[in-house]
Amino acid sequence: MLDEFETLFIQHFNDNARSLAYYLEKMQGYTASKKALAMPQDEVISEVKKSNLRGRGGAGFPTGMKWGFIPKNSTKPKYLVCNADESEPGTFKDRDIMRYTPHLLIDGMVIGAHAIGANTGYIYIRGEYTREAKLLQVAIDEAYSKGYLGKNIQGSKFDFDLTVHRGAGAYICGEETGLLNSLEGKRGEPRVKPPFPAQSGAFGGPTIVNNVETLAGIPYIINRGGEWFSKLGKIEKSGGTRLFCVSGHVKKPGVYELPAGSVTLRQLVYGTCGGILGDKKLKAVIPGGSSAPVLTADEIDVIVDIEPLMKIGTMLGSAGIIVVSEDYCIVKLIRRITRFYEHESCGQCTPCREGCRWMEDILDRIERGKGREQDLALLLEVADNMSGKTLCALGDAAAGPVISFVKKFRADFEAHIRGAKCPNV
Amino acid sequence: MSKCIIDGREVEFTPGQNLIEVAKKAGIDIPFFCYHPGLSVVAQCRMCAVEIEKMPKLQTACSTVAAEGMVVKTKSPRTAQNQKAVMEFLLINHPLDCPICDKSGECDLQDNSYRHGDLYSRYTEERRTYLDLDMGPVIQKNMNRCIHCTRCIRFGDEIAGIREMVALQRGNNTQISTVDGRALETDYAGNYADICPTGSLTVKDFRFKKRVWFLKKTSTVCEGCSRGCNMEIHQDANVIYRCIPRENMQINKYWLCDEGRFNFQYVNDENRVVAPMVNHSVSDWGLSIDQAKKVLMGKKIAVLVGSDLTQEEGSHLLEFLPKHFPGSPIFHFGTPGLNTAEKDGDADRILKRKSKTSNLHGLEKLGFQGFDKMPKEINAVLVIRGGRAILPDLKGLVAVGLGVFMAPQVEEFSVILPGTSFAEKDGTIVNYEGQAQRIRRAILPPGQCKGLSEVLMMWVNSKSSSGAA
Repeated sequence: MLDEFETLFIQHFNDNARSLAYYLEKMQGYTASKKALAMPQDEVISEVKKSNLRGRGGAGFPTGMKWGFIPKNSTKPKYLVCNADESEPGTFKDRDIMRYTPHLLIDGMVIGAHAIGANTGYIYIRGEYTREAKLLQVAIDEAYSKGYLGKNIQGSKFDFDLTVHRGAGAYICGEETGLLNSLEGKRGEPRVKPPFPAQSGAFGGPTIVNNVETLAGIPYIINRGGEWFSKLGKIEKSGGTRLFCVSGHVKKPGVYELPAGSVTLRQLVYGTCGGILGDKKLKAVIPGGSSAPVLTADEIDVIVDIEPLMKIGTMLGSAGIIVVSEDYCIVKLIRRITRFYEHESCGQCTPCREGCRWMEDILDRIERGKGREQDLALLLEVADNMSGKTLCALGDAAAGPVISFVKKFRADFEAHIRGAKCPNV
Repeated sequence: MSKCIIDGREVEFTPGQNLIEVAKKAGIDIPFFCYHPGLSVVAQCRMCAVEIEKMPKLQTACSTVAAEGMVVKTKSPRTAQNQKAVMEFLLINHPLDCPICDKSGECDLQDNSYRHGDLYSRYTEERRTYLDLDMGPVIQKNMNRCIHCTRCIRFGDEIAGIREMVALQRGNNTQISTVDGRALETDYAGNYADICPTGSLTVKDFRFKKRVWFLKKTSTVCEGCSRGCNMEIHQDANVIYRCIPRENMQINKYWLCDEGRFNFQYVNDENRVVAPMVNHSVSDWGLSIDQAKKVLMGKKIAVLVGSDLTQEEGSHLLEFLPKHFPGSPIFHFGTPGLNTAEKDGDADRILKRKSKTSNLHGLEKLGFQGFDKMPKEINAVLVIRGGRAILPDLKGLVAVGLGVFMAPQVEEFSVILPGTSFAEKDGTIVNYEGQAQRIRRAILPPGQCKGLSEVLMMWVNSKSSSGAA
């Protein structure tokens, strides 16, 4: 089943692929943007709509529909921003795209910019990706020198300038409005929505923010057609292939590319990734980056895609799959995850600023064996008081895992409280 | 007119209004902390979240614009649960030091805690604490009480035009502070305390002086410049403790400058002359008036009228002066270098005007003329002022003063007849736009100070003949 398909990205993940020469020769380089620039904007958008490409950053929003939200007759300049912040723990796919196939991303951005009528683009890359930022800059310079970027791209009279903007290490700058604030030189804090970026985004202009993998898929859609791309997906309403980042206690962790909706979580963990390290038993899987609610070992016979996972109360998110084996303390894990969100809370809205620290304190107490019986109920209530009530999704990202961990692994928490220590040590 | 339904009631609204304002108009209070009608909307405190039909999540009322047919529930169990949760979150790190906090009694946090919070705390961890740096002479900071509403940051940025308050650090450690811990620079710093929903920023001058529930409030108008900002005087036992701005969307919106806010201090000043003075020593009213008439007798007199007097006082003088000081020129004075209303203008881009007196424009309408320089033949002056107009150089002429004077000024006057300040009288003042506004008496005049009309009456009825006549 998995042998007979051609990967879009992974086959090019080698150090030779990042040059313009390779891109032109082996990947039909910049033919897609040439083709798209000759198409009317609406046609490009409808091709992307046909492709069933859904945002690869986490929310899974249909890309074509998002592009369609850009107001046609805006007097303000429009912007296309590539979200390369990749800050969700457990996610490391965009890094490979930028490292190995930067031109694919640039090609996709030219097409996207044309589709929404933007003449300025930014790649907002996370601060830690120093090497990737440099490689992107090299690729951008190459593209400028050959007329694939800049004024009058490939003779089409379309101008597009692309800038790499490095972040300074805040998780929340992966949230699109936080990203835009950071891009504008402000504090990296999410904005109130509405207005959504498509109405008023970067510098007040209509703005589309797309993930790296999303934009890198665009050239294939233009060259081979939306329908072809859509058919790559093996599940309704989800086209193309997906990059899965598998980490944790598996024998073969790494980035895997599979047709969307083609495997179950069990096949991915035990088949593709070779099973659990040391042939231990599986304890839990976090399927979509650390903010996704956890799944137990019994829940992994589920197709790894947006809607099947949503149906069982979790999410595919950025497809960062974290596998946990039986000998890892689940309380320690959720305390560490909560510590991350506590550290990354921007501090502007009340439930997140106060709630994250409170949850961390309670979890810390439980892990150290100092928990009280009533702490679990309190923990769930604090998490519930945050869920869906914060300004941005970080509150949910922090509360969701806590709720799912306590509900699904309650016995582990109780063992810590009653035994006054971690039973694993 | 568009309509929506709030708590089962049909409420009219103008398109673009947010739910807090729409509900308020209908008498429904939605609690909030970070929202302020004069500042941008950030939806950070989450206190105003309400249930709206057809929306899965609670929506913040401050950032939600009312729409035709929208069904809003501000008192549903879900809304109430969120309010309780937000109160709990805000209070877990709040010191709850209301007994020693100046904000207590007029504190949004305290009020909403009583209305929407829980009686008990479930928090057992150590509370977060901060070290505070001095913020200059106007504002006292107590970061431990802060609930991070960012109103102060937005006020500085959007109203005062200076980005001096900022958020430092992130997340739970977020600290609201001045840039580099510097002293506040704006002339509008007092507003920081007004808009602070807790006792995190309080006015140093008012600190520990009075519990706010003892204060009696009088709506009046500031006499600090020709804008005529609306404000309240707060007093207890005939002592003014503070002035705070009063909303007037046409004139000052919600704000007041520090100069206007602290202008009242001279009213209770221990240096104020509160008994009639003759030759620099205390006298009584009858003798003082006689003496005043005596020193002015036979002199070439000019009458200087402070443009801090009210229209009523001005009218009285226009009746009184021609009869009792016939032929004497009459001038108004108030701001050095600004002797006509024409020269008045904005002193900054916010509220302040160049004319440092309240009624320059009104007195000119009554026909008073500006004081430029003393005519040559003059050898005596009668000065009539409130407490605000700045005295011109009297060049050692024989002088009689009527109104508010301070001890150091006594040297210049042969006779002083103590009068009333803006806080001790009723009257009308006219601002630079021609807007007539009422000032109201907040306290009784101190000592033997008397209102102008009473003094004029005594002058008329006194036995000795009038000064010049």
